[in-house]
Amino acid sequence: MHEIDNGGDMPHRTREPRRRFLKRAGVLALGGMAPAIVRAQGTPLQLGVLTPLTGAGGFDGPRMAKAMQAVIDEVNANGGLLGRKVVLVVEDGQTNPEAAVRAARKLIDVTKVPAIMGTWASAVTSAVAPLCWESRTFLTTVSGADSITRLPHQGYLIRTQPNNHLQAGKHAEFIASMGVARCFMMSIQAPFAEPTQTRATEVLKEKGSQMVGTLIYDKDKTTYRSEVDQALRTNPDLIYLNGYAPDVTILLRDLYRASYAGKRFAQSYAVTSKVLESLPHEVTEGVITVQPSADVTSPAYELAKKRLGIAEPDSYETQATDWASLVSLAIAKAKIATGTGIRDNVRNICQGGGTKVYSAVEGLKLLAQGRDINYEGASGPCDFTDIGDIVDCKFRYNKVTDGKFVLLKVA
Amino acid sequence: MPSLADVGQLLVNGVMAGTILAVPAIGLTAIYAVLRFPNFALASHATIGAFAGYVANARLGWPLLPSVATAFVVAGSVGVVTDDTVLKRFRPAGYITTAIASIALTIALENVVRFVFGNELRGYELPIQRDWRIGAIRVGPQQVTNLAIAGVAMAALFGFLGFTRMGKAMRAVADNPMLAAIKGIDADTIGRIVNFVGMGLAGLGGMLIGLDTTIDPLTGFRSILSVFAAAVVGGLGSIPGAVIGALTVGIGEELCLLFLSPDYRSAVGFAAILLVLTLRPRGILGQRAY
Amino acid sequence: MENYLIAMAVSAGIYALMALGVNVVWGFAGMVNLGLVGFFAVGAYTSALLTLKAGWAIAGGMAAATIVAAIVGAIVALVTVRLRGDYLAIVTLGFAETIRIVASNAIWLTNGSDGLSGIPGPGRGSLSPEAFNLVYLAIVGVIVAIAFFVNERLRVSPFGRVLRAIRDDEQVASVAGKHVTLFKVKAFAISAAALGLAGALYAHYTSYIAPDIFVPLFTLYIKLALLAGGLGNNRGAIVGAFAVVFLLESTRFVIPLVPGITPVQGAAIREFLIAALLIVMLRYKPRGLVPEPSTRLPVPPAASGYQPTA
Repeated sequence: MHEIDNGGDMPHRTREPRRRFLKRAGVLALGGMAPAIVRAQGTPLQLGVLTPLTGAGGFDGPRMAKAMQAVIDEVNANGGLLGRKVVLVVEDGQTNPEAAVRAARKLIDVTKVPAIMGTWASAVTSAVAPLCWESRTFLTTVSGADSITRLPHQGYLIRTQPNNHLQAGKHAEFIASMGVARCFMMSIQAPFAEPTQTRATEVLKEKGSQMVGTLIYDKDKTTYRSEVDQALRTNPDLIYLNGYAPDVTILLRDLYRASYAGKRFAQSYAVTSKVLESLPHEVTEGVITVQPSADVTSPAYELAKKRLGIAEPDSYETQATDWASLVSLAIAKAKIATGTGIRDNVRNICQGGGTKVYSAVEGLKLLAQGRDINYEGASGPCDFTDIGDIVDCKFRYNKVTDGKFVLLKVA
Repeated sequence: MPSLADVGQLLVNGVMAGTILAVPAIGLTAIYAVLRFPNFALASHATIGAFAGYVANARLGWPLLPSVATAFVVAGSVGVVTDDTVLKRFRPAGYITTAIASIALTIALENVVRFVFGNELRGYELPIQRDWRIGAIRVGPQQVTNLAIAGVAMAALFGFLGFTRMGKAMRAVADNPMLAAIKGIDADTIGRIVNFVGMGLAGLGGMLIGLDTTIDPLTGFRSILSVFAAAVVGGLGSIPGAVIGALTVGIGEELCLLFLSPDYRSAVGFAAILLVLTLRPRGILGQRAY
Repeated sequence: MENYLIAMAVSAGIYALMALGVNVVWGFAGMVNLGLVGFFAVGAYTSALLTLKAGWAIAGGMAAATIVAAIVGAIVALVTVRLRGDYLAIVTLGFAETIRIVASNAIWLTNGSDGLSGIPGPGRGSLSPEAFNLVYLAIVGVIVAIAFFVNERLRVSPFGRVLRAIRDDEQVASVAGKHVTLFKVKAFAISAAALGLAGALYAHYTSYIAPDIFVPLFTLYIKLALLAGGLGNNRGAIVGAFAVVFLLESTRFVIPLVPGITPVQGAAIREFLIAALLIVMLRYKPRGLVPEPSTRLPVPPAASGYQPTA
C-alpha cells in the first residue's frame, strides 16, 4: 500500500513564510510570558532541577526532586536565600540526552538559573555539562561514569556519587570482610558495568576472596530466569545485583524462586523503602544494601529521614538533599546567585575548618552571623576534589529484616 | 559446554515466555487482520490492563481470576473507545498514518497512567512461591498459572473465531472485506469487536507479565518489540501464526543465551524478524487470518 | 531568551534537513524508512570520530559523514529492495536499532554508552556561546536552503517523476522500462546523505553524542513533521519540523500554569499534551499544513473529465 498525496493547486508562495513567522512569534510570545508570570510574585530565586521524570530513569527522578523540594521548603521557612523565596524550576530530562539538552537550554537561557541539579543518566550529564560550563551554570549530578569528572568543566560540576573505582573497591572490601569466598556480579547494561566488575574482581582477589563470574543483562526483560541460572551454576555465596530498581526487583523474585540461599548485595537506590513495600518479605529477607554515607554519628542522615518521612532514605535521596543544601549555602556565602559564585564558594562551605553543620538551615544561620561552616551531608562528608569527585566517604550497609532496614555497619 | 539439562531449561523458559507473549501478539495480529494496520497503542493498553488488574487485586482485594478478567475487560473497553474517537478517523489516510497516530496515542495513554499512578513499581497481592524441580528443570507455579490462563484465553479465542457467528464474521472481514460487506456484515461492528478482543488480550498479557514481576507505566512499552516480532515472524494477520511466532521468539531469545551475552537480547528480536523475512517474507504461517 | 530561541531554531533546522531527506524516500518514492535515525547516527559518528580522533577539519568531517551515510543507505536499499512496504519498515527499524546496539558495544571505536565528548564546533571556544549559536544557525540555515532547492529540483525533474511513478504503481514503472531497483537505491542514498549530514550537524553543535540519542522516538518526530507538513511537500517538511519543535518546547511553559501537581504529573501532562496535539495536528491537516504545489498547468476540470493524481 502506498501513501498518495493529492495536493491542491492554489498559489501559496506567500502563505508559507507567514506561517513560519507566526510560529516563531508564538514561541517568543509564550516564552516572554513565562518569566513575567513568575516575576510578578516578588523576584523569587529560581534554581534549576533537571531530572528524569519519564523514561528509564523515571523511577529515580521524582524521589530526587522531592528531596530537593524538602530542603528548599525548610530554607524558605527560615527566610529564604538572600532575602528571597527560593523556587525550584523542574524540567524533565526524559532520560534522553537530546531532550535533556533542550530542557537545559530553557533553564539556562530562559529561566536563567545559576545551578542545575539532578541529572541522572551518564549520557544526559555528559550532554548537558558543556552547556553548563559554557554558560557558567553550576551542575550537580549522581551520574557514575568516570569520564564525567574528567570533562573540562572548569569547576562547574560536582558529583556527590563516589566514582566507580572508589565504590567498587570499597564494596569488594566489605564483601570479602563478610567471609564470602565466591562472589558473582550481575550488572545492568550501563557504562559502569565493566569498570565496576574489573575493580571489584581486583580487590576481592587482594582480600582473599574470588569473583567467580560476571554477566551483563538487558534492562527491558520481564524475567531473568536464565540469567539467574547462569549465575547459580557457579555456586556463589553472594550475588552482587548491580542494577536499578525495576530490574533488581525482578532479579530478587527470580532468585527466590530458584531457592537461592546465599547472600544478595545491592545498591540502596535499587532496593528502596518503596521497593520493600512492593515485594513480599520472603523475597527481600537478608538483602544487604549499600549507600555512600557520612560517619555513623553524623546527624545529617537522621535529619534527612525526618525531613522526608522515610524510614531509610536511599543514596539518590540523600545526594539530592545535599545538592540543594550545598547550592543554597554556596549562594548565601557568595551573597550572589550566579553559577560562578557557587563554584567559587562551594568548597568553602563544605570543606576545611569551620563549624560542622548538618543541614542547610543550620548553616545559613551561622553564615548570617559571619561564621565559617563545614557542611557534612547525608550522603557523606561532602568534600570535593578539584575535578568535582568526592574525596572519600564511608559507606552505610543495611540489612533487610522482616521488610525493614536494619543498620549493619558504617565503614 | 552447556549440558542437555541447561538447554532443556532454556527451552522450558522459552516456552513459558513465548506462551505469555502469544496473548498480546494475537491481539496485535487480529487487529491487523481486520483493520489492516499495526496498532502500536497495544503497548499502553497492556499497561492499562495491568494497572486495572492491580486496582482490582491490590486495592479492592479481589483474587487472581476476577482481577485478570478485569484487566481484559478494562483494556478492551479502552481499546474500543480510543479507536472510535481517535484512530478510526485516520483510516482513510492510509495505514502508515494510522500506525503513526497509534504511536502518539500510546504515548498519550501511557502518560495518563503515569499521571494517576506515578512511576513507582507496584506488585500484585499474590503469594510468591519457590519453583518446583522436575528432574534438572525448574518450573515456577506462577509460570504454570500464567500458562494456564494464557492457554484458556487462547482456546476461548479460537473457539470464538471458529464457532460463533461473530467470530466467523470477523474472519470473513479479515479475509475478504469487500465480499463481507456485500454479505451485509457491518464493518464498524466487527472493527469494535476486534478492538475489544485485541486490546483486551493486550491488557491480559500486560497483567500476566506483571504477575511475575512488578508493574509501572513502562510495562507495555518494554514488551512491544518482542510482541511485534512475534506477530511478524508468525505472519502479520495470522492468528495461529502469532502463537507460533511468539513461541519462536520466546524460545529463540532464550536459546541464544547459549552463545550470546545477555545484553544482546533485543538484537535477537530484530534478527529473528530479518531471518524470517528474508527466508519467508510472509512469515511462518502466511497471511490468512485463521 | 533569544539564545534559547536560536538554539531551538537550530534544532528545528536539523529536523527540517532530516525531513527533507526522508521526503525523497517517503514523499516521492513512497518507501517507508523507519530506520532514519540509524543514518543520522552513522553521519554523527563518522564526522565526530574523524574530527576528534583523526584531526580532520569540520567541513571535511561533515562531507565524509554525508558520503558514508549515502553508501550505507545504498547498501541497505540493495538488501531490502525485494521487501514489501510494511516489511521494509520493520527491517529499516531493525537497522537503526542494530546501529545503536553496535554503537553501545563497540567501545574501542565509539566509546560505547559513555559517548564521545568534546567534538569540535566551528568557533567553539573562541566565540561566545551566543555568537556560536548564531553562526551555527546561519550554517544550518544555508544547508537547509540548499537541501530545499535540491529537493525542489528533484521533485520536478524526471528522476522525481520516476520516483512518484514507482510510488503509485511499481509494476507499471518497471514495465515502462525504468530500472526500479536503481532508482530506489539512488533515492535511499540521497535520503541517507541528508540524514547523515544532519547527524554531523548535530554532533558538532552539541559537542557530545551517545547511543542513547539515536532512539526510535526521534524517527517518530520526523515522520510526524513530514505528515503534518504534507508528504512529498518540501515546504511542508520544513514547516512541519518547526511545528514539531514548537510543540515540544512550548508545552514546557504551560505546565507551571497548572496548580498543585507533582513534578511527575507535570511531566506526564506535558508528554500527554505533545502526543495529543500531534494527533490533532495529524487529524485536522491530513493533507498537511501546507498543500503540495501542483506541477501541472491548471486544467479546468470540465475540459478533460480526468482527475490528476500527482
